[in-house]
Amino acid sequence: MKVLAALPRLQLLSAAAADEAVATVVAKAEAPAKIVCRQVNFFYGDHQALFDNNLEINRNQVTAIIGPSGCGKSTHIRIYNRIYELYPDQRAAGEVLLDGHNILDPAYDLMELRRKVGMIFQQPTPFPMSVFDNVAFGLRFYYRLGKGELADRVEEALSRAALWEEVKDQLRHPGTALSGGQQQRLCIARALAVEPEVLLMDEPTSAIDPIATAKIEELVTELRSKYTIVIVTHNLQQAARVSDYTAFFYQGRIIEFGATPKIFTKPANKKTEEYITGRFG
Amino acid sequence: MKPRPATGRRLINAAVSVLATLSAVLGMAILAWIIGVVVVRGLGAFNLAFFTQLPTPPGMEGGGLANAIIGTVVMTLLATLVAVPLGLLSGVYLAEFGRGSRLADNTRFSANVLIGMPSIIIGIFAYAMVVVPLGRFSGYAGALALAIIMLPIVARTTEDMLGLVPDALREAGLALGAPRWRITLAIVFRAAKAGLITGVCLAVARVSGETAPLLFTALNSPYWPGWLSEPTPNLTVTIFNYAMSPYPDWQRLAWGASLLITLGVLTLTTLARWSLRERLR
Repeated sequence: MKVLAALPRLQLLSAAAADEAVATVVAKAEAPAKIVCRQVNFFYGDHQALFDNNLEINRNQVTAIIGPSGCGKSTHIRIYNRIYELYPDQRAAGEVLLDGHNILDPAYDLMELRRKVGMIFQQPTPFPMSVFDNVAFGLRFYYRLGKGELADRVEEALSRAALWEEVKDQLRHPGTALSGGQQQRLCIARALAVEPEVLLMDEPTSAIDPIATAKIEELVTELRSKYTIVIVTHNLQQAARVSDYTAFFYQGRIIEFGATPKIFTKPANKKTEEYITGRFG
Repeated sequence: MKPRPATGRRLINAAVSVLATLSAVLGMAILAWIIGVVVVRGLGAFNLAFFTQLPTPPGMEGGGLANAIIGTVVMTLLATLVAVPLGLLSGVYLAEFGRGSRLADNTRFSANVLIGMPSIIIGIFAYAMVVVPLGRFSGYAGALALAIIMLPIVARTTEDMLGLVPDALREAGLALGAPRWRITLAIVFRAAKAGLITGVCLAVARVSGETAPLLFTALNSPYWPGWLSEPTPNLTVTIFNYAMSPYPDWQRLAWGASLLITLGVLTLTTLARWSLRERLR
């Protein structure tokens, strides 16, 4: 199954690279965990926000992170691409292994990390440029591409984000002129364009309307075949609908982690049960 | 409880609102008065000769300020060429790279002090640093003084305008793996473009009317501006000299020069407002 799922992507590669890619996919299929967190702690200055987080994110699955506001959900996934480093007072400790390599190691190349691990934010963040340039933004500095090839890759990314049909006649229009839901899918296309392996989604539907939300949820389900997805959400129904695994965070600790159906029907922990049934949060 | 009567409150409210409106109208009226007088007196000086000829010696009819117009434009342009790139870069440091650092705090403080510095002091500084060592007044010294006045204005407005760009955009750029300089140039600058243009326009408007810093630096001259290494004719010092002269022809030219500068400043300020309006659309 996994090998088949990777086929469309292989068309981009040369025959030799394709063999190698098949080999990698097979190897990946054997080791299910794409990301492994070991004893991760996180600090905003002197304030500790995460405590001893241990978590395994499974390959080509959707993992939902749920929990009440301020429990560290976003903080946790912001470690996966080291985006927190924009703010000098924030600091992570512990190990986060991406395919077995510790990304918190300062020697781990940030650009390479962020190519592999894309991120979608709560508010859509179209850049102040055309729809085309938004999607081409990352492509332009990761790859050397001819004009035609660039256009092909942009189209492909927009198609994967289920946006191509809606914007193919307005590629030169500013990205900020799209509707909120379209802007969010534009951001997804922009992230997909650089061929990531993991997609981090930080409450991706909290700022958009229900119909656009449904589209994005559908998209998440489709994208699962090619990408490992971690989605932070406030919306429990959303977590139940789109995810395979769910982690429940509370006060910076991971209280419970397991297959989504189990978490939602037979949670092992009392706190989880209270949260799921709406008794707090 | 006995209610307070409403009459007193209503009276005070009416009084304050009338006073505030009157003050606002007074401010506008003064501006209109100044512009009115300058237009009425200055328009009479505008003719072809005003824009194409040299000033005549006292007592002779006709003549113009072509030399001073060129001198002012050239010195302002040179000052802009020096101050704008430096100002933009220091603004970038303050808003992006040096955020929260001690160097940034000190730089910001110095810029604020420099903005409040009387321009005659900057003139005397340029006099001591350039005019005295070289032994003569020069357009370069004038341009330097103007550039020193512009620099902190451009730096601070750049910082403020970049500060208005939400961090979400920077994070989105970082999440794609873009290096900081690329995010600054391709995303943040673009998002703040209108504000940056406004800042530059206002800085140019501010120095184009400066007299004091040119008094000891560029001085003035009744001849065509040759090299900037010589005393350079300019509109503001010309106004200063001619307005106080006993010759009606010179006084007329001074009014003409005042009108020209007023029009220039009005144009720049309007451009600045217009570009900001564009941004908000």
